[in-house]
Amino acid sequence: MPETLFQKVWNRHVVKATDEATLLYIDLHLIHEVTSPQAFDGLRLARRKVRRPDLTIATVDHNVPTENQLDIREPMSRRQVETLRDNCKEFGLTLFDVHGGRQGIVHVIGPELGLTLPGTTIVCGDSHTSTHGAFGALAFGIGTSEVEHVLATQTLWQGRRPTSFGIEVRGKLAPGLEPKDIILAIIRQIGTGGATGTVVEYYGPAIEALSMEGRLTICNMSIEAGARAGLIAPDDTTIQYIATGNRPFAPQGAALEMAIADWRTLKTDDPSAFDRHVVLEADKIAPQVTWGTNPAMTVDVTGRVPEPDKVPFASSEDARRALDYMGLTPGTPITEIPVDVVFIGSCTNGRIEDLRTAAKVLRGRKVAESVRALIVPGSEQVRHQAEAEGLDAVFREAGAEWRESGCSMCLAMNPDKLTPKQRSASTSNRNFEGRQGPGGRTHLVSPAMAAAAAVAGHFVDVRPMLAQGN
Amino acid sequence: MEPFKTHRGKVAVLDWTDVNTDLIIPARYLKRVERVGYGPLLFADKRYVPGGAPEADDPDKHGPEAPDFPLNRPAAKGATVLVVRKNFGCGSSREHAVWAVAQAGFRAVIAPVKGEGFADIFEGNAYGNGLLPLELPEGEWEAIAEAGRSEQGAEVTIDLEALKLTLHSSSGEKTFAIEVPEAQRHRLLNGLDAIAETLLDEPAISAHEAKAPAWITPQPA
Repeated sequence: MPETLFQKVWNRHVVKATDEATLLYIDLHLIHEVTSPQAFDGLRLARRKVRRPDLTIATVDHNVPTENQLDIREPMSRRQVETLRDNCKEFGLTLFDVHGGRQGIVHVIGPELGLTLPGTTIVCGDSHTSTHGAFGALAFGIGTSEVEHVLATQTLWQGRRPTSFGIEVRGKLAPGLEPKDIILAIIRQIGTGGATGTVVEYYGPAIEALSMEGRLTICNMSIEAGARAGLIAPDDTTIQYIATGNRPFAPQGAALEMAIADWRTLKTDDPSAFDRHVVLEADKIAPQVTWGTNPAMTVDVTGRVPEPDKVPFASSEDARRALDYMGLTPGTPITEIPVDVVFIGSCTNGRIEDLRTAAKVLRGRKVAESVRALIVPGSEQVRHQAEAEGLDAVFREAGAEWRESGCSMCLAMNPDKLTPKQRSASTSNRNFEGRQGPGGRTHLVSPAMAAAAAVAGHFVDVRPMLAQGN
Repeated sequence: MEPFKTHRGKVAVLDWTDVNTDLIIPARYLKRVERVGYGPLLFADKRYVPGGAPEADDPDKHGPEAPDFPLNRPAAKGATVLVVRKNFGCGSSREHAVWAVAQAGFRAVIAPVKGEGFADIFEGNAYGNGLLPLELPEGEWEAIAEAGRSEQGAEVTIDLEALKLTLHSSSGEKTFAIEVPEAQRHRLLNGLDAIAETLLDEPAISAHEAKAPAWITPQPA
């Protein structure tokens, strides 16, 4: 019987299986300040220890102010960050704290430090843990009770094994198009619940052509289609990334050779092993812009705000509520929607390639007077790399704000927020009501499209801008 | 955890699809480090009059309830069973969403269509907190929702031991079979601590660790 990559990784982590539940071993547990305090409290109450401190890594990201990481003025945010510091000390865990050189969004630092490895299981109390699947790791988000369970046992109970869902992306992305456009196009096609109960594997020429950064963007948003996890089979690009970068936690020497030999076996034997399968043609994808309040409410930049009775996966009532919240009139061309704030960053698009793309658009251009543009590196390492390449100067000269690393305006848990009715072009992952601040209106786009909107003051097709250069 | 054997309570119906966890509890309330006090934060941006959402550092301080929010209807007052539409709890993994639902007094959530009612992480979190997530066939779900939407409302009895649900409404009683995975049912019936149960398998965990390849453990750096 041919097996999928997902089944192979799952099978090698089964500690115990009953008819309807499986105890899975967890190879890496990432922790941040928001979803862990109650788990540590639980351990203390039961007088339990962390079973494997060496497989548990913590950082602070959600609450960290990006103007000055050291200056957390909001008392509740400060308390949450300090609680994590205290817990890491008490339980003997490695914490990558601000200004230590390795802090960043948990899903950005895992890969760049060489913690994220093919064939492993990775969990974190954060739904975007699916990001790490780009390396062929089975990675998924968990709740706080499960965080406590993993801390105490290094395992996790899973119910019925998810099914395998193959998403094949054929062809080649046209210039000006980005991985973000692929994943938005996928969610638009299958809906926000389209992959519930499944583990998605992305494959095909358009996926293989992507860098690790691009693959991370795709897997990151798997959860926005309801998937338990998203996977991409490891290949030369993956191995190159781990073996040649500065990855302090990755295996070295003989251990690395052994690991590589193993990673080469990690692929789906035959697409017939997938329980379900869809195909997308990359050549046909145009730059994507969300208009509504979930990531499936997406159209081409050349399109218009839809009529409420023509919205896939939503009742006309749901669609009307979304239009009303977003303050949009059906029939409005997307390129006539003005933006107030541009946010480039997050675990979806806060990596070095994303910043290079944004810089390509902004070089020699100016952010429109009416727009506030925030550019937020996903980690301290990304920030240092960008500064070494002079990207920060490009951003500043264009009139954008160059910030310190953190989750920033993705989720309104730190000072970077939209005010009510403010409209953003955002490279993050969720356009839910209030996600970027109460009453804020979020449109999800790629970094290139966000940078283009910053210059134009409204949404605009970035393709001609990139073609004409500066 | 409080055991769940049988439960009878009023239903409240929320007729929205794809209700995400940001809607169930907005991120600004996730800064709390406590495990209790989330009840008033359930649907914080929808449930109170504009500007009346609770203060982040004092959840009990909030404005009056918005009369048009479905959970605030007189027939839904004091409800302990929440009836929702498909893909409830999608989005963020925050367990705070389940804490908010449970601490607002709900013991069960009922959604339509097996395998489509709940987002995966929400469903797992619900079981972990003794909140029963039930998926029913569309027709049975509709019968409960319709009765719940009526002016006088409705009640249900959920019998986890006998695996059945009885709808009590003005048009009489109807009983449906329910499905709950056996391991979850066992834990709910007995109010078991999942960690203590797992640690009974400690030898199997150690055996797995003993055969893990060396490259899997992060290098000390």
